[in-house]
Amino acid sequence: MRCAPARKRLSDALDGALRPGRKPGVEAHVKACESCRSYRDGLARIQAGAALPDAHPPEFWAAFERGLERKLAAAEAGRATVVPALAVRRRLAWAAAAAMVLAGAGIWYALLRPQMPVTEAWVPYEDVLDPFVEAAEADPELAASVDREVRAAIDEMTPARDADAVVLSAADPLFWEALSDDELEDIIAELEDETGRGGPL
Amino acid sequence: MDERPEELLVEEARKGGREAFAELARRHERRVHGVVLRMAGNVSDADDLAQEVFLTAWKAIGSFRSGSSFYTWLYRIAVNTSLTFLKKRGREKARAPFDENLPVGAAALGLSRGPEAGAVANELAARIGEAVAALPVHFRAAFALVVDQGLSHAAAARVLGCSENTVSWRMHKARKILQARLKPYLEEVRS
Repeated sequence: MRCAPARKRLSDALDGALRPGRKPGVEAHVKACESCRSYRDGLARIQAGAALPDAHPPEFWAAFERGLERKLAAAEAGRATVVPALAVRRRLAWAAAAAMVLAGAGIWYALLRPQMPVTEAWVPYEDVLDPFVEAAEADPELAASVDREVRAAIDEMTPARDADAVVLSAADPLFWEALSDDELEDIIAELEDETGRGGPL
Repeated sequence: MDERPEELLVEEARKGGREAFAELARRHERRVHGVVLRMAGNVSDADDLAQEVFLTAWKAIGSFRSGSSFYTWLYRIAVNTSLTFLKKRGREKARAPFDENLPVGAAALGLSRGPEAGAVANELAARIGEAVAALPVHFRAAFALVVDQGLSHAAAARVLGCSENTVSWRMHKARKILQARLKPYLEEVRS
């Protein structure tokens, strides 16, 4: 065995970490090697001289414990005051989140809400129109003028009649063909009552 | 003297029992102080660091896993607190090389071995303290745990978060450095 591994194992041996199987080889080397014997003795002296004496008297430790107790109490008090502060912050965060949701809903309603039918849109203005209606009733000329305006507005709003639309009438054979037998019998009975001559059949 | 087993105290402390934690601190204060003293290199810093170690442990006790070794956890906090302290002060960078004219180790540490110790032994102890204080910080941490606290390589490895083999090599190298630095004094003692 060379000196380098022997010295590493001497260090392990001082720490009680040398595997038992390696001990004889180390002892044999140290016995034969003056330098490693000296090294081993030096290690032993360092080990013995390195022990730290108790740094402080008992009074120091009593003061140490009192000081530590104060710090622990202060840390605990700090923790206790931090918890409510956190709770308040958490409540504020929830309130802010709720406000944001409400604001989002408001924006959505203002911008993207479904369009209401015109007829419903008139409802809020009924009360506004009441004074004009009352004034028109008191003045016949004004009433006639308002009537014309209203009719013109109604005509304007009324969809134009489709000239191509099929309007079924009694003169149209399709009208009769679309009737069920019961409906047809009812119509015939009514025509007989009214005219005494029945229908086209 | 509180006779409650350590596991019970740890469990109570985890639930917020300050009195239980104070008892744990009483049981470990000297050993923790020894570790931070070796790491910091002087008593006044060590006193503050020891308090900081226990305060950190108290704040973090909720994260301590039941079934783990409390002293391993506490030593880890002690070593990490010391490393942070040393890094903060830049002491490692500014550390002066070993100088035989520097104040002797035990005296520099603020320690006294008492009148019963011989003058030569005192001198050697002082030099050893000085030389250990000048070791690279990770070697010093291994030395503090293995030599001062008597931990096995396996236990020290758990504290330091490395392998047993790494602890073994750090101890070997630390001893080689100490041997080289203390050679004149060791020969003087021998003669």
